[in-house]
Amino acid sequence: MESLIEELKTKIIAGFNLEGVTPADINPDEPIFGTGLELDSIDALELVAILESDYGIVITERAVADKAFASLRALAEFVAANRT
Amino acid sequence: MKDLTIHAASYLGPEGFGNDETGLRAWPAPLKENLSRGELDGLHWSLLSASDPSRFLRMDLMCRIGFMATELLAVDFDALPEARRESLGVIVESFTGSLNTDIRFAQTPRPSIFAYTLPSTVIGEICIRHRLKGPVLSLIAPDTDGANALTEAAEWLRAGDAEMVLCLGIEAINVSTAIPFPCRKLSRHTAGTARRCCWDGLKICPAKNCSSPARLGTFAESCVPCRNTLAKTNRGKLRLHNTLWNP
Amino acid sequence: MNKIAIAGCGVVTAAGLGMEALQRAVFSNASALQRRELLIGKTSQSVVAGFVADEITAQLRGADAAHADSRAFLFAAAALREAVKNAATILDSVPATRRGFVLSTTKANIEALDKLVRQQPVSAVAQRQIQPAFLAADLAAVFDCRGPVQCVSAACISGLSALQQGAAFIQRGIADVVFVAGVDLISQFVLSGFNSLKSLDPEGCRPFDKSRIGLSLGEGAAAIILVKRELLAAPAILLSGCGTSNDANHLTGPSRDGSGLALAIQRALAQARIAPDNIGYVNAHGTGTPYNDAMESLALRSVFGDRVPPFSSSKGIFGHTLGMAGVLETALCVAAQQNNLLPGTPRLRERDPVAPDSLLVEPRAVANLNYILKINCGFGGTNAALVLQRELP
Repeated sequence: MESLIEELKTKIIAGFNLEGVTPADINPDEPIFGTGLELDSIDALELVAILESDYGIVITERAVADKAFASLRALAEFVAANRT
Repeated sequence: MKDLTIHAASYLGPEGFGNDETGLRAWPAPLKENLSRGELDGLHWSLLSASDPSRFLRMDLMCRIGFMATELLAVDFDALPEARRESLGVIVESFTGSLNTDIRFAQTPRPSIFAYTLPSTVIGEICIRHRLKGPVLSLIAPDTDGANALTEAAEWLRAGDAEMVLCLGIEAINVSTAIPFPCRKLSRHTAGTARRCCWDGLKICPAKNCSSPARLGTFAESCVPCRNTLAKTNRGKLRLHNTLWNP
Repeated sequence: MNKIAIAGCGVVTAAGLGMEALQRAVFSNASALQRRELLIGKTSQSVVAGFVADEITAQLRGADAAHADSRAFLFAAAALREAVKNAATILDSVPATRRGFVLSTTKANIEALDKLVRQQPVSAVAQRQIQPAFLAADLAAVFDCRGPVQCVSAACISGLSALQQGAAFIQRGIADVVFVAGVDLISQFVLSGFNSLKSLDPEGCRPFDKSRIGLSLGEGAAAIILVKRELLAAPAILLSGCGTSNDANHLTGPSRDGSGLALAIQRALAQARIAPDNIGYVNAHGTGTPYNDAMESLALRSVFGDRVPPFSSSKGIFGHTLGMAGVLETALCVAAQQNNLLPGTPRLRERDPVAPDSLLVEPRAVANLNYILKINCGFGGTNAALVLQRELP
């Protein structure tokens, strides 16, 4: 699980152009959105796109996304459970 | 264009960057390496103290260089009263448009890039940054020496459709890909070849049977014409490659 | 000041080939959207959109083998041919050097780029027409327009912006006739983009509906021939005002209060020298996304107060045709004016209470329809408005 969390941190930093942010800066138990990372609604869609292309997970329900994006740890658990 | 005053002008390209007051400055050495490979992506925004780095970093190449060329003008848009900003028009002209980002998106479709597969998005970015609400126009032209945007701006100013107009001429191509696209003379050669033309200082395009100067590469220029009688356009000592500055 | 009149229109849409097919769809308030199973990225999805029928593409290909794999060219040329035919003899007296051309498109022949990245064969012509400037030049050459040629690519306001430029050529005296053509295609490129933004309604758009969830894409071409008013004998339909603006708010969502669109509308009304009360009908942008239709409702209230004229969205017929929307929907307004008929809003089931109650569900005949307002909004916060005026006999 920890290596998946690190993997996701790297993808988020790259995918959202978070220049100057290192993996150590991201707390896996804090919400991904609505915090100091300054991510917006497009970024949420970007994360959905990354999950589809990199892990084969298709999200169609907003409620599913909200739960999976609650924190990085929640996301890692979601990915581990649903990846194809 | 006799009744047009250029209030400020800037340039950003392989040779360097600057505005009509500073003149053309060479890129710092490490960046020059990137540039010789045809990459402006590595240009650090902090060089020009962009005010909103997170917004800037989301932008694609075309928007970044258009945005930076506008910042380089050193015009304090924010100090303008709201009425002025409401009547400040923006015109962008480009030959390649969003092709650079189009190719990226076609290869790896991502929602964060999609909005940038339009040549007019740079207008949106600049208007958001400086809260400009004037008339807008986005042209794709095979002969972009800046004349198209300035001609339209002159008409807007004459008709009273705008008090000031921001004109942008942008070409943003740095995709190393085998996808061929035609140069201005309407013949074909590969993107890699075209880039070499440009970095060699605008020599003739090496593609067979093509004698046009290849102007593909990354450059942008912007200027702010206002409604006043024209004194002189050729104010700066910028070494520019087109007829924009020669009255 | 030169007056600008409309001499002829031509269209290729999901509703069929030609203005007559479009008119039939408008009069019967019919939707021409269709469902297809398409591969978007790696997943197969059910998409409801305004596809141009394969039979029409085949027919156009058959007549023009050189452009067989450039649907953008085929559609635009077909629309232009119809517009020229409808303009009849008016063009005969105008030399080629006095004929201008403006193309309006967001992605031109983008299908060719989709093929290139998949290493599929593409003709040189189709590939070259990925670039809007070349598509414009090629079409202008075929229709012998040797006056000023321009290509506008400004997201979803391209169409109205192109009409504005065409009118400007005539007003500046650099052309007597301008061919304005709009074209865009439903492609993997555009489908995957809107799909990734979750902007599509998988069941098909329902503009201004209470439970709308998204837009439907559309494709095809539309052409309008603008002429100097003096070239026409009979009372004409004039393009009497245009206006554009930027919201300065958010890149992919419109400003919340509709003030940007209201500004564009005010500019168009000012140029047409009329008051809001003169407008008899508004053809909205009405894509069917939750945000757009709410914002437009606010903008209409802000300009018209309590007296919002009858208005509707036509995108339920042919979908959101992006760069071509402004030209197509203006051609539709011309048809409405000629027939004294206000178009309805196909696919609407229950009006969103946020929308003014003058929203037309069904088409309605009127005694006279003199001034129409056409509006469009686009990515990047751009807005455009156009006023059509029918001269009284």
